[in-house]
Amino acid sequence: MKSLVKEAELYRTQGLLEESKERYLEVLQLIEKNQRFQSNKKAINVIKDRIVGLERDLAEIDQETEAPELSGKVQDLIKNLFSFSQNKDAAEMEGAVALARFGQYERALAEFNSLLDKGTLPLIAAKNVLRCHLALSSTDAAIDQFRKWLSGELLSKKQLRDIRSFLEYVLKRKGIQTKLPEVVGESSQKPKEVGSEGGFLDVCSVKMRLESGPCKGSTKELDVTFQSGNVISLIVSAKDKDLIDSFMPGIRLRGVHFFSSICVFRANGIVSEWTSIKTGPRRGDYVLSITIDRSDKLDIL
Amino acid sequence: MANFNLKDRVIECKIVYYGPGRGGKTTNLQYIHKAFKKQTTGEMISINTKGDRTLFFDFLPLGLGKIKGCEIKVQLYTVPGQVRYSSTRKMVLKGVDGVVFVADSLEVRRKENMLSLKDLQQNLAEQKKSIFKIPLVLQYNKRDLAKESIPLLSVKLMERELNGKLKVPSFPASALKGTGVRATLQECLKLTLQHLQRELKWAG
Repeated sequence: MKSLVKEAELYRTQGLLEESKERYLEVLQLIEKNQRFQSNKKAINVIKDRIVGLERDLAEIDQETEAPELSGKVQDLIKNLFSFSQNKDAAEMEGAVALARFGQYERALAEFNSLLDKGTLPLIAAKNVLRCHLALSSTDAAIDQFRKWLSGELLSKKQLRDIRSFLEYVLKRKGIQTKLPEVVGESSQKPKEVGSEGGFLDVCSVKMRLESGPCKGSTKELDVTFQSGNVISLIVSAKDKDLIDSFMPGIRLRGVHFFSSICVFRANGIVSEWTSIKTGPRRGDYVLSITIDRSDKLDIL
Repeated sequence: MANFNLKDRVIECKIVYYGPGRGGKTTNLQYIHKAFKKQTTGEMISINTKGDRTLFFDFLPLGLGKIKGCEIKVQLYTVPGQVRYSSTRKMVLKGVDGVVFVADSLEVRRKENMLSLKDLQQNLAEQKKSIFKIPLVLQYNKRDLAKESIPLLSVKLMERELNGKLKVPSFPASALKGTGVRATLQECLKLTLQHLQRELKWAG
């Protein structure tokens, strides 16, 4: 029993909390089976306290997987680390998307606005500006931003129409009924576009039937908060813990319906990550990342 | 892939410490930060949770001086080991030139070592890289715990289970005490630079 306690303590100091808890439970079982130890209430209580403490630490860790607000220096590092393209414009966009994916929304917003001002991949930059506003729960800010673009010259009419239908769809999915101003007139100016914006379709929401976990057999529909190529991020309410438990990393999601502003397509996806949000209005909720499998055929529905 | 600046003759390469959670990847970098003071070209950056678990990555830049007329800069990274941070690991692994796989010698972490090595293989394959071809070194960490009578996996068993097919250099180590840390890094650097020399056809 002494060696079991020693092991349990060592695992605890190593941060191997599950392993530590298992050992303490073994110790408790041994005590309960052995009459000689049963009278030692003090020892039993110490072990029980340890188990409760470990359970509390494990629960805290579950809640600690948030993206904290990082220093400017670290944000710069993230931006550089996650910019892989040789093409300068694409690399800058990747850096900004990485910031958003790690929950650095304020900084990401500044980066997307700067890219938009420079005319770098304006359609992607503009949509990401709106996504940042929406992630910060600033629906009004997103709508105001769209109005500003309408009266400016940063974006072509064609791009504005695309952005309008994107925003309209996202707001509708959020249950927000608002009449967005129309884009009037034909596109006469050449957009200040640099590089190609070809890539994955913008996905606004997804619908899928879950094949495992506590929600097995049920069909769920969720909104997309962020997208980087074929990786989409979704926010799930903390109240839906069962749903989170149904999305363990690595799980393959078959026949997912991906809704974009121009079409609906069906493809497979893989759950790549989930984290919880600690700050802001969505504190306590979860962010799920799903990778759309490019190797499979995408069925346009 | 390493960044080779032909004009200034600077090679910048990336080495990633990979392995299961709480296995000692960050401790390796912390020791290197202290022991390689002269070679350290910037501070070590760690993004952790409150429980000292790596949330995104650790980062440590090193400068090795000139080799064959080229200045060698090395960026060391760790990945978050916990299973849930799969996409972060993929991102950190992008453009990797060499890998140190830090395995945990604790018997209770046997399965996690194997799962993490498999995860490394899959994530490298997504980058069209083979675990059998990339410069790779295994480290069997926490050997010092043998003195504490804590059940450890034998080096022989770890060799068989983790290195049976790979057959790469491996080192018993204690990152906490610093034992084997230097040798692991030096071997990984040697393999990585040899590999880059062949790939970049770089000569003095």
